[in-house]
Amino acid sequence: MIENIYVPHLMTITKIRDEAENVKTFTLEFKDSQIGKNFDYKPGQFGEVTLFNIGEAPISITSSPANKGYLELSVANVGKVTSALHQKNEGDVIGFRGPYGNGFPFEEVSGKNILFVAGGIGLAPLRSLINQMFAERNKFGKISILYGCRIPNLLCFQNELDNWAKLENSEVLLTVDACPENDWKGNIGVVGSLLPNIDIDLENTVAFVCGPPVMIHFVILDLLKMGFSGDNIITTMERRMECGLGKCGHCNIGEKYVCKDGPVFSYQQLKELGENI
Amino acid sequence: MSATRIIDKKKLADFLETLSSDCEVIIPTVEDGNLLFSELGSSKLEDSFKGRPIVSPKEYLFPQKEKILAFDTTDKVNVDIKAYTNDKKRVIWGIRPCDLHGIKTLDAIYLSDFVDTYYQARRKNTIMMGLNCNEPCETCFCNSCQTGPFASEAYDVVFTDLGDKYLVKVGSDAGQEAVDKIPNLFAEATNDDEKKAGELEEKSKQSFQRKVDVDVAKQNLPESWDDALWAEESEMCILCGGCNFTCPTCHCFNIEDVQCGEKASIRMRYWDSCQLGGFTQMAAENTRENQAARLRQRIFHKYIYTPDKYDGAIGCTGCGRCIEVCPVNIDITHILGRVASK
Amino acid sequence: MQSKVLTTCEFCGCGCNFYLGVEDNSLTAVYPATSHPVSQGRLCVKGWMGHDYVNSYERLKTPLIKERGKFREASWDEAYKLIADKIQQTKSQYGSDSIAVFSSAKCTNEENYLLQKFARAVIGTNNVDHCARLCHASTVLGLSQTFGSGAMTNAIGEIGKAEVIFIIGSNTSEQHPLVASQIVAAVKKGAKLVVADPREIQLAKVATLYISQKPGTDVALINGMLNVIIAEDLLDKEFISQRTEGYDELKELVAGFTPEKTSEITGIPADKIIEAARIYAKGQASTIIYSMGITQHTTGVDNVISCANLAMLTGNVGKESTGVNPLRGQNNVQGACDMGALPNVYSGYQAVTNEELRQKFEKAWGVKLPAEVGVTVTDAINKIESKDIRTIYIMGENPIISDPDSNHTEQALKSLDFLAVQDIFLTETAKLADVVLPGVSFAEKNGTFTSTERKVQRVRKAIEPVGLSRPDWKIITELAAFLGYKMEYDSPSDIMDEIAKFTPSYGGISYDRLEEGGLCWPCPSADHPGTPYLHKEQFARPGGKGKFFAVPYRAPAELPDDEYPLTLTTGRIAFHWHTGTMTRKSWTLDREYPNGYVEINNNDAAKLGIRNKAMVKVTSRRGEITLQAKAVNTIQEGLLFIPFHFAEAAANKLTANNLDPVAKIPEYKVCAVKLEGV
Ligand SMILES: Cc1cc2nc3c(=O)[nH]c(=O)nc-3n(C[C@H](O)[C@H](O)[C@H](O)COP(=O)(O)OP(=O)(O)OC[C@H]3O[C@@H](n4cnc5c(N)ncnc54)[C@H](O)[C@@H]3O)c2cc1C
Ligand code: SF4
Ligand code: SF4
Ligand code: SF4
Ligand code: FES
Repeated sequence: MIENIYVPHLMTITKIRDEAENVKTFTLEFKDSQIGKNFDYKPGQFGEVTLFNIGEAPISITSSPANKGYLELSVANVGKVTSALHQKNEGDVIGFRGPYGNGFPFEEVSGKNILFVAGGIGLAPLRSLINQMFAERNKFGKISILYGCRIPNLLCFQNELDNWAKLENSEVLLTVDACPENDWKGNIGVVGSLLPNIDIDLENTVAFVCGPPVMIHFVILDLLKMGFSGDNIITTMERRMECGLGKCGHCNIGEKYVCKDGPVFSYQQLKELGENI
Repeated sequence: MSATRIIDKKKLADFLETLSSDCEVIIPTVEDGNLLFSELGSSKLEDSFKGRPIVSPKEYLFPQKEKILAFDTTDKVNVDIKAYTNDKKRVIWGIRPCDLHGIKTLDAIYLSDFVDTYYQARRKNTIMMGLNCNEPCETCFCNSCQTGPFASEAYDVVFTDLGDKYLVKVGSDAGQEAVDKIPNLFAEATNDDEKKAGELEEKSKQSFQRKVDVDVAKQNLPESWDDALWAEESEMCILCGGCNFTCPTCHCFNIEDVQCGEKASIRMRYWDSCQLGGFTQMAAENTRENQAARLRQRIFHKYIYTPDKYDGAIGCTGCGRCIEVCPVNIDITHILGRVASK
Repeated sequence: MQSKVLTTCEFCGCGCNFYLGVEDNSLTAVYPATSHPVSQGRLCVKGWMGHDYVNSYERLKTPLIKERGKFREASWDEAYKLIADKIQQTKSQYGSDSIAVFSSAKCTNEENYLLQKFARAVIGTNNVDHCARLCHASTVLGLSQTFGSGAMTNAIGEIGKAEVIFIIGSNTSEQHPLVASQIVAAVKKGAKLVVADPREIQLAKVATLYISQKPGTDVALINGMLNVIIAEDLLDKEFISQRTEGYDELKELVAGFTPEKTSEITGIPADKIIEAARIYAKGQASTIIYSMGITQHTTGVDNVISCANLAMLTGNVGKESTGVNPLRGQNNVQGACDMGALPNVYSGYQAVTNEELRQKFEKAWGVKLPAEVGVTVTDAINKIESKDIRTIYIMGENPIISDPDSNHTEQALKSLDFLAVQDIFLTETAKLADVVLPGVSFAEKNGTFTSTERKVQRVRKAIEPVGLSRPDWKIITELAAFLGYKMEYDSPSDIMDEIAKFTPSYGGISYDRLEEGGLCWPCPSADHPGTPYLHKEQFARPGGKGKFFAVPYRAPAELPDDEYPLTLTTGRIAFHWHTGTMTRKSWTLDREYPNGYVEINNNDAAKLGIRNKAMVKVTSRRGEITLQAKAVNTIQEGLLFIPFHFAEAAANKLTANNLDPVAKIPEYKVCAVKLEGV
């Protein structure tokens, strides 16, 4: 019997945390612990999550491979599958297949300073990488994390942001587009507006950008203006996905399938692919 | 492989019937003026026919809709997951060279990297018997795409209509095995037979009504990215999806869970169409926001992306179906002609 | 093993044919028929992807009876008995005319014939009607008065060969895609296309001339064109004198519609009106194509008559590739009308008030028949309040969503003594019923549909009825038996034989003949080849002449004012069908248009501070709905457009029940609304 690439594994939801307005973080464990033991992934990879009798949705793995035995997914409630997931309780079972996609470069960027620029739920995949980098801290130079959301209520992973800020040779800068409740002491403006606030050694820094498509678009323009080379800007593409396997065609851009050849691309690669980012 | 043979036209039915003892045999047949693939036994073998069915034989490997998994959540914790399998053995006779080539393209897509479980199961159990085209139809341009009108590869067995008999060439072990089941139906082909087939091929090549300069079009396509032609050519599109559904190389699908019981559903996959806006719709935006971009995707996918990604061969077989099926005459040969003449 | 069954599309009046692929009693594939003259191997997205509803889990699978506000499953006999008792009861207490029957343009000819027979012969009332009232009642009346026959004059295939095509009030690419296909082909061959529509429809992009009239000013526009044609002597005098009557009155009336005056009313520049008239009148074969943009007005009949006037004035009728061509929406709305699912006629438009014809049917059906014209769908709803209508039997319609002023319709249906609904889903309407009977889809029964080109075509059974559902024709015969009336047919073919026997225009139609392909009526005898275009030698009116009617311009019933400053028009989109009960169960169609929306001109949106895709509230005097705004530049300023398929944003909560005085068709195309951000 050949392996059926469409069959999801059963996973139990062991913990649910309210992450931000409309966002929950789910901790999952494989029902079959053998699968769990063999399950390995890279930051930036994702899985297809099944809500049985509802459907599937691609969701990034937000936990770090450094933490074995469980997976974490942070999910915004936007539609059919994600709202069904939000209705689940601890102990419930969902389906998961993956990991898919190429994941972020890790060894390739060791020795560099790292700049993270994230918007909204886009911090979820980066969080996996950030935690893995902190787990192997000595491989990297300075780590700067710039994170923005529309309004303060949407900021995810607040505890971790505080922790990261305290770690050696790292900085965390937060911003919100607007603050309707007036309870925000920090910066107000789009996330790109934080860039002038930090020192960047252009030659020696790699930027990771992740967030809503418009945000990615503008941040990349900012970075290019600052003098970043296209190879040193790493981003993730969001596309509508169905299979995650390079078969269904939904995520096709040029000769690439974002699900399989991506979702992580350097800006240089994207430029060569042609289709608008 | 063995030498070329011939079979008397009257005996083809015997051959296929013998094969049908342990598998399903699919043949093209004309019903109420419509050419369709159909099962031998429930339909008659045509003495000769022109053209190809409007829906390509890819559906025997990649059905219009297919059950892939069944879920039952009666037990909330031990959710029952069943995977559908398909091990039906099939012979498809009468596949035109363009469609043989189309299946070769699908093989490249579905059988590489992550091997598609369902496609592979069907593909493994299917024997493809081609039938060369003595007379191309009005919308075909396989000659320009070098996939026809006579097949040179991608078949298990291929037949050429010589009038009262067929010239038979074997292209694989599976084909050989099939032919060897009743060897006495076949005779050695003579030089004359081969010569006649050669003449028919020449004649067929001369009778195409459409021609595309594929090389030049391919070369010019990247330059045409921002050209007004995409908006102009797509302006009347009524979003029927027919060009994708009938295309022998379109492989895109959608996955849906369809309820079938109080707590049960079937995960289906359906043919999908990149000409529809929802194909790339995401929560915040649509990455192909207008019809021009969607038409461009269809053409670029066939002529640029597929050759770049796989073995260099274009993903269009020149079967002409997307022209015939389009309610508003959006015509790939016309588009490529425009691109080539830039 | 897969089998393939040739059948006729269940969605629109184009009447495409395709094969359904069937495996394990479910539909697994579609293959367009290449030999079919309309399809030619092509289909619209509904034809390809719209049939998922057939095998939907949500299909009704058993009869339901409502008890204390809740449905419970019931046996067929139980359900029949209850309905029969209630009908008897209502009949004996309040008379037959307190019962109304709604037939369905989705059902087959045979079923429509039986249901009107059921109403007339079994219940004893002419209160039978169907949703054609809501789309083309004005066509039937307008064209009967002028030409003598209320249908498309020419065949779809002829459009491809026309020299001039004048489209008014039809968004053909969305609503009749395979007719649009013919138009595009004609334009490619050099035909001139004139489009008159308040929205710049897709076909306007390839039009020779696009004009944008204010909603509800079509009579004025056409009168203006007639004025130009007469003034410039572009008329066909021979045709007028030999084949028509009433020209002088027309001439007198349209003299007042100078291009300048017409321009004032319609908002179209005078020179464009002149140009439109010239293009149309100068064509050797000019054809008029219209749809609900013409019919769904309080001036619906006048609009239709105007189109007929235009065709007759230039001799563009009775020839190939000419004529006046109302595109009928539903797959079988033509057939439902032909079969007499109308309050005033038996099958073949034989008037119930005609003594001789009535006697013919009395003899055929073996009962005494009512002589008075019955009530329409719209009147029936209005008469519930006054208790003139107490019981309604509905087959395959969803009036809550499709009728104007949904809130009112719903209230009315709720206050009935008894409501029985025969449908394939528990629709918004079925939910209100006391008894629900599960009918079947087009894939589960044999029958015929009559497409918009009057072509009678076979529908063939592909799968067995799901659950305990039964073919609608069977349900009617069985219910009739419970009411003590025998309807005995072995198959729909037998019903067609009865139809042919008593319906002159269907006289030559039989299932045997239909095996060879469809037949366009009139087809009076077994050796008659059918009639692709009408009125060749003479018109179907008594006396054989076409009649001009001078129609003055009347403004729409509800015009914008300070409180409701915008005009709303409603309609369909290609991805959905009617109230969406079927199409919204197809993932493709649902994915493309999951939600209702309102189209608004970019400038209006900017003025109101509404961003594209923002949620907005649209309010009329009758109700309000909230939906997404779609800012476009293809709609007139001051005008909004809402597709009516979406129950949660039902356009018909807003529309008014203002009726055409004769046809009783509601004015879906014009009502006054306001729009605000939410
Ligand atoms: C590689 C990848 C990683 C992602 N990671 C995360 C994550 O970590 N957390 C998170 O909250 N979201 C993530 N998303 C987005 C998430 O997949 C979509 O929000 C989700 O699929 C919506 O599904 P639904 O059934 O709830 O919504 P639907 O009801 O299907 O639709 C709601 C809206 O989402 C859009 N949509 C539907 N399916 C997709 C899809 N497959 N891809 C993109 N948009 C879609 C629809 O067009 C619609 O506008 C990721 C997407 C991709 C491609
Ligand atoms: S693109 Fe058109 S011509 Fe080419 S293989 Fe597909 S259907 Fe045939
Ligand atoms: S067949 Fe034609 S109309 Fe249909 S989607 Fe393709 S290009 Fe558009
Ligand atoms: S055009 Fe009409 S009849 Fe043809 S496939 Fe579409 S809905 Fe069906
Ligand atoms: S999601 Fe299917 S190909 Fe990428």
